[in-house]
Amino acid sequence: MHILPWDLTVIPSKFFLFAEAAQYTLQITFFGILLGLMIGLVAALGRLSHRSWLSAVCRSYIFLVRGTPLLVQLFIVYYGLTSLVTIAPIPSAVIALGFHNGAYIAEIFRGSIQSIDIGQMEAARSLGMPRSKAMQRIILPQAFKRAVPPLGNQLIIALKDSSLASTIAVPELMLKGRQMGSSSFMYMEMFLIVGIWYLIMTSVLSFVMHRIEQRLKVSDRD
Amino acid sequence: MTNETKKTDETILRIEHLVKRFGELEVLKDINLEVKRGEVVVIIGASGSGKSTLLRCVNFLEKAQKGKIFINGKLVKQSEKQLNKVRQELGMVFQHFNLFPHMTVIQNVMEGMVQVKKFPREKARKAASDLLDQVGLAEKADVYPAMLSGGQKQRVAIARALAMNPKIMLFDEPTSALDPELVGEVLSVMTNLAKKGMTMLVVTHEMWFAKEVADRVIFMDEGFILEEANPKDMFSSPKEERTLAFLKQVLPQQG
Repeated sequence: MHILPWDLTVIPSKFFLFAEAAQYTLQITFFGILLGLMIGLVAALGRLSHRSWLSAVCRSYIFLVRGTPLLVQLFIVYYGLTSLVTIAPIPSAVIALGFHNGAYIAEIFRGSIQSIDIGQMEAARSLGMPRSKAMQRIILPQAFKRAVPPLGNQLIIALKDSSLASTIAVPELMLKGRQMGSSSFMYMEMFLIVGIWYLIMTSVLSFVMHRIEQRLKVSDRD
Repeated sequence: MTNETKKTDETILRIEHLVKRFGELEVLKDINLEVKRGEVVVIIGASGSGKSTLLRCVNFLEKAQKGKIFINGKLVKQSEKQLNKVRQELGMVFQHFNLFPHMTVIQNVMEGMVQVKKFPREKARKAASDLLDQVGLAEKADVYPAMLSGGQKQRVAIARALAMNPKIMLFDEPTSALDPELVGEVLSVMTNLAKKGMTMLVVTHEMWFAKEVADRVIFMDEGFILEEANPKDMFSSPKEERTLAFLKQVLPQQG
C-alpha cells in the first residue's frame, strides 16, 4: 500500500532510460541556438542598417516570428512545407528553433549594439575606419559581451521550448516521457523524470553561463 | 584651379560658408576659417555657441547642410570612401576620450595603424611604443583603459590620434571631463605637440592654453565667428562687447 497514488521509487531505476532522449533534446537545442545566433546577428545588423529595405525586411521577420507561437512555426516547417520539400523531424526542429530564436536573439544583439556609447563609433570613424570595420573591430566585441547574460537566458528558454519537437516525432525527452507513460501508465513518475532531466540541464547551463560572465568581467568597464 | 594649388602649400584647412542645422536650430551660420600649417588655433566661446559642432563638422562626424571644407587644398566630397581617407588626415581628440575599453593601451594606439593603414603589427607596435613614450605613458602599454586616470586616458587618446600621422589635430574640449588636478598633464602634452609644429584646432575653456600656446584665438558666438585675433590682442583688448563680456566671466579678475 502506498501513501501516494504514485510509485516514486521507480524514478531512480527508470531515470537513465531517458539519457538518449536527453541527447536529442540537447542536440536540437544546440543546433537550433547556433542557427539562431547566425540568423540573429544578420537580422540585428540588417535592422540597424541604413538601407531602409533591408531594415524593413528584418523588422518584418522579427515581427512575424515573435508574434506567432513556436508550435505554429514548427508545424509550418514540418507539415506545411511538405508540398514543396520534405524535411525530416530533427532538421525541421532545428530550423524552426533557429528561426524562432533568431528573432529574439536579433533583438538581444540590437539592444546590446545600441547600448554601446556612440563615442566608440565616432572614435573608430575618426581613425578612418569604414562603418563595417568599426562595427566588426570596435562595436561588436563590446556588444557581444553585453549580450551574454540575455543570450544565456534565451538558451535556457530554447532548451525548454525544444520539448515542442515531441509533436513532430523527434525522439527527445518529452516524447520519451509520453511513450514511457502510456506504456506503463506511470505518467506522473515518467513526467517527473522528464522534469528532473530538464532541471539538471538548465542548471548546468545556468552555471556555465554564469562562469562565462565572470570571465568576461575581468578586462573592462570604462 | 591654379589659384587652388598655390594655397595647397600652406593652408591645411579651409572652411567656406559652413552652415549646420539641427532641425530648426541653426547652430553654425556661415563659418569661414583658415588654418595654416603649423598654426595653433584655439576656439573659445560660451557653451552652445557652436564651437564643438564646428569641430565635429570638420571631421564630418556632423554633416553640414551648406558650405565647403578643403583639407590640404582639396575640396572634401561627402562620399563614404573619401571621408574614410580624409579622416586619416584629421586626428580627433574627444572630450570623453572614447578609448576602446576592450583593448589595452598599446592596442588602442595600434588599432588605426594596423586596421586602416595596414602596417605590419611589429611596425605598428614600435610606432605605438614611441608615441606612448612621447605622452609619458610607456609603462602603461599593456593595461586596459579602465585602469587609467582621466588624464592618462586623454593622453592615450592623443597618442591614438597621432598614430595616424595626421596633418591637423582637432581637440574637442579635451580637458573638460577631467578633474582639475589632471588638466595640466594633458595641456602639457598638447603644448609639446604645438612646439613640435603640429597644426592644431582646439576647442577649449582653458584660457591659459589659449593665451600661452595659441597663434590665433577665435571667439564664437551664436553660430558666428564674432572675433578673431592673436591671443595678446584678444585677451587685452577685444573689439566686440560680447567677447569682452565672455572673457570677463571666464578670466579670474586681477587686482
